[in-house]
Formats: sequence, C-alpha cells, structure tokens
Amino acid sequence: MAKSTRDSSVGTPPVSATPVIETSGLSKHYGSGRGLFGLDLEVRAGEVFGFLGPNGAGKSTTLRLLLDLIRPTAGAARVLGLDTVRDSLEIRRRVGFLPGDLALYPTLTGRVVLDYLADLRGGVDRRVRDSLVERFDAELDRPVRELSTGNRQKLGLVQAFMHEPEVLILDEPIAGLDPLVQKSFHTLLAEVSAQGRTVLLSSHTLSEVERVTNRLAILRRGRLVVVDSVENLRRVAVQRLEIEFAAPVAADKFGALPEVTEARADDRTVTVSFQGSADKVVKEAAKHEVLAIRPREDELEEIFLRYYQEQPL
Amino acid sequence: MSWATAKIALRLRLPAALSAAVGLIAVMAAVGALFPAVGHTIGKLNVPRSVSNLLGGGDYGTITGWFRSEIASIYGPLVIGALAITGAAATTAGEEEDRILALVLSYPARRSRLVIAKAAAIGVVVVTIAAATWVGLIIGVALAGGGITIAHMAALAIQLAFFGCATGALAIAVAASTGRRSLATGVAAGVGIVGWLINSFAPLVGALTWLKYLSPFYYYAGHDPLTQGVNAAGVIVLGAVTVVLLIAAAAGIGRRDLRG
Repeated sequence: MAKSTRDSSVGTPPVSATPVIETSGLSKHYGSGRGLFGLDLEVRAGEVFGFLGPNGAGKSTTLRLLLDLIRPTAGAARVLGLDTVRDSLEIRRRVGFLPGDLALYPTLTGRVVLDYLADLRGGVDRRVRDSLVERFDAELDRPVRELSTGNRQKLGLVQAFMHEPEVLILDEPIAGLDPLVQKSFHTLLAEVSAQGRTVLLSSHTLSEVERVTNRLAILRRGRLVVVDSVENLRRVAVQRLEIEFAAPVAADKFGALPEVTEARADDRTVTVSFQGSADKVVKEAAKHEVLAIRPREDELEEIFLRYYQEQPL
Repeated sequence: MSWATAKIALRLRLPAALSAAVGLIAVMAAVGALFPAVGHTIGKLNVPRSVSNLLGGGDYGTITGWFRSEIASIYGPLVIGALAITGAAATTAGEEEDRILALVLSYPARRSRLVIAKAAAIGVVVVTIAAATWVGLIIGVALAGGGITIAHMAALAIQLAFFGCATGALAIAVAASTGRRSLATGVAAGVGIVGWLINSFAPLVGALTWLKYLSPFYYYAGHDPLTQGVNAAGVIVLGAVTVVLLIAAAAGIGRRDLRG
C-alpha cells in the first residue's frame, strides 16, 4: 500500500503562513465547458504543494497562468506577492518552471540547450548547474532528439533548479524518470523545502506526490474539489485489500461491514474496497485461513469519486 | 534584444543558409558559364512580353538581361524568400507549436525582445544569402565574359537583402500574432507570389499599372539594380515595411495566449 505519510527524507520543512502563490477566482475559459473556473488557492512559503487531477482537469492551465504564458479570463493570481500579468518578468526571474510534455531543441545537445537557457536567464552559478547535472546523471553530449523521455526530463529538471529559484513550478516532474532518479528528485525537493523555498508540483498520480507534499489540491473539470493534507485525504480515500484464502469465502460477509464499499470474490480470493480503518476487514478475514493479504494501490480516481459523491459539480 | 536567443536561432538556421549560399553561388557560376554558348542564340527569340515580364523583362542577348532573367527575377528572390519565410515561421510559430517556446517564455525575457532576436537571426540569414548572391554574380559575370560592374552587382544584392527582410518580417508578424507556422508561411509566400505576378502583369494593363506599387518586387528590382544601381526609394520602402511588420510582430505576440 502506498505510504500515507511524507517520505522520511523530506523532514519537516519550515512552512510559513505567508502565501507565496495566491489565486483568487482565477478563471480561464476555453469554451465548451473546458478551462479553469474560479480557482481560489494559497500555497505557503516553504511548502511542497501537490496539484492533482486527471488529464484536462486544469492543472497545466493553472501553472501556465501563473507564468503569464496565458492570461486569465477572470480573477487574478499573485506569486511572491507580485501580479502574474503585470509583474510577470520579475516572477519569471524568481521562479523555476518545468512544463509538462517538455520540449527542447531536438538538434542541439543538452549542453548547448542548458548553456542557452543559462545565458537567457543570467546569473546562473555554473557550479550549481554542474552539481545538478551530476546528481541526475544528465546526458549533455548527445542531441536532444536522441535522448529518451527520462533523459530529456533530467535536462528539464536541471534547468528548473539551476538558478536556485525561490519558487518551483513543476508540471508532471517525474514523468519518464527511473526510480533512482525519482529518488534523487525527491531528495532534492526535500532540500529545497528545508531551505524555505516553495514547490508547486502537478501530477495525475497520487503516488507521485504523496511522499513529498505537505498539502495537495484536487482539481476536476477546472474546479477545485478539495485542498487538504495527504493524511486527511487518505482518511476518506477508498483502499483495497486482496485477500487470498485457503478455501473459497463468500464476499457478502465483507460486504455487510459498514466500512466496505465493495467486495468481490474470485475463487479463493476476495477483493475488498473500504474506507477508513482496515480493522474490521482484517478481523473478518481472520475468521478463515488466510494465505496472503495484498494491498492494492489506491487509485487517485477513487479519491476523486469520493469527492464527487460529497461535492457534486 | 536577447543576444542568447539570437545566437541560438542563428545556430539553428545557419547550416541551411550556408548550404543554400553555396548552391546559389554554384548555380550563378553555371548560369554565367552558359551565357557565351547560348546568349546570342536565345537573344534572338521572340518571347511574348507577358512571359518576358515574368522573367524580369530583360534582353537575353545581353549579359545584364541574362542575369536579370535568370537570377534577379526568379532564382535570387525565390531562395532568399524561401529561407527568410520558412526560417521566420519556424523560429517563432514553429517553436511555439513544438512547445519549446513554453519553456523559453518562462524565462525572464520579454516576448517582444525574443521575437526581435529571432528576427535578427533571420536578418543574418538574409544577409548571408545576399552576400552569396553578390559573390555568385561576380563569379558568374566573370565566366560570362564581364559586362556588369561590381557595384551594380552589389546593388542587386542589397535590394535582394531588403526584399528578404520584408518577406521574412511578414512571416514573423503573422507567426508572432497567430502562433501558426503554416499560416505564416502561406501568407508570406502568397504575398510574394502575388506580388511577383502583379509586378509582371500590371504594367501590361494601363488601368492596373498602379498595382505594381503594392508589390515588394517592384521595390526590389523595379528599377533594375544591375544597370541602375541601388534604388534608395525601394530600399527605404522595403526597410520601412520591415520595421512596421516587426513592430506588429512584437506587439502581436505580447497580447495573446501562448499556444501549444
């Protein structure tokens, strides 16, 4: 089962009550019901904030609005106390950004691309850049078109962090990264957070963000569904256990438990979906000979479903 | 202007420009070498005026007419226009459609300065082709037996450079304002082709002669730089059009949402 607390390497960041990112009624209408609608959000200084939602939920739209790549239809947003439209140049100076579906110049090598981006930004400490390259084992001497998605993403991470920005806005940052690099990335996030810098990262997979985030927001169809800590969201999330018995067991024994939302039997295996404590489920299982209990990863969509039921849009 | 952006845009576009420059010089050398063998014969052909106008209205039997028809009227503007238009559209709208611009514009650089930097890179490409045209003319005319001054050949290259800048600026203006590469390429190429046709045919119809003033070809070669030298008015008009279009490009990209 996915861990329900932050990664131990992350430690306790010095989260401040000061909002570093604030949106107020932030909206972007694309027509046909698509876009972002009235987003009110606060991300505090030193916080690693997860931004979750399925494809098309409005995550990337929000991040692009914060960087003035697109302009709001209504509402406003502030980053570091600065207006995202009026003061976008200063915001972009102090923010590191990794776009989703990162694209780089295909015919240029990673080194040339990073050199260009460092020149464009100015004031990049080459030692910081080199240490990031080493940390992520980024490939610099091959043309970008020859790099795998993960190796391109490493370049994206290096450029986002290389000027040691006060705020990092990362859209699907671990897409394509192998587990070792993911670990390096999580460690880096922990260090950044410990320094009081702020991270807003988006994902459509809960397991990607739950280990590193303090709080997270869930978006659905352009609207904010909930903002809460991972722990609180877990509390109401649907969890699943796959229990293998020595002999077939009827699923309705589990289905009768108040916590259980669904129980299915397949030969000697019963899959139980439940909310809250697993205590009664395990005790019911213990009435029979249990060969194995396998937790099933929570699907983010199931957490959404929970909120759909409570807060119909 | 963002020098870093100008350098990277140039790095991406220069290989194609240098290849085209070498090809252009080779073609002009071949055209020049061909003249002694065919010039006197082809000069006696009775070509309809409409066709002759399409080819610059030159007398094939003279060295100036030969190069005006072969190089100045078609090949030169075709190469410089194609490189300027495709390069301009690719470096702006192309990068936007490819989502590269989403990263670049998250950096602390004004959109207008990025566009001007990219325009400067295209300007270098245009100047490279114009310089190659001059070198090619010098070689070609020498192989043809001489007859055009180096200054007049330089005049054609200068007029051609301004023509390339204007067509490239049109592509950048459309690309920056819309973020659509195909639209920018299509509009700029369409204006170039229609301008070429107007400049060729409008003088044949008395009532429509004035249309030639709408064609960039008129300001580029309407006064035959190979015999008359640089036409200041033509250069000023093409230069002014370039500046206005670049201002429109800078304003256009600043006002809209990034695509992709």
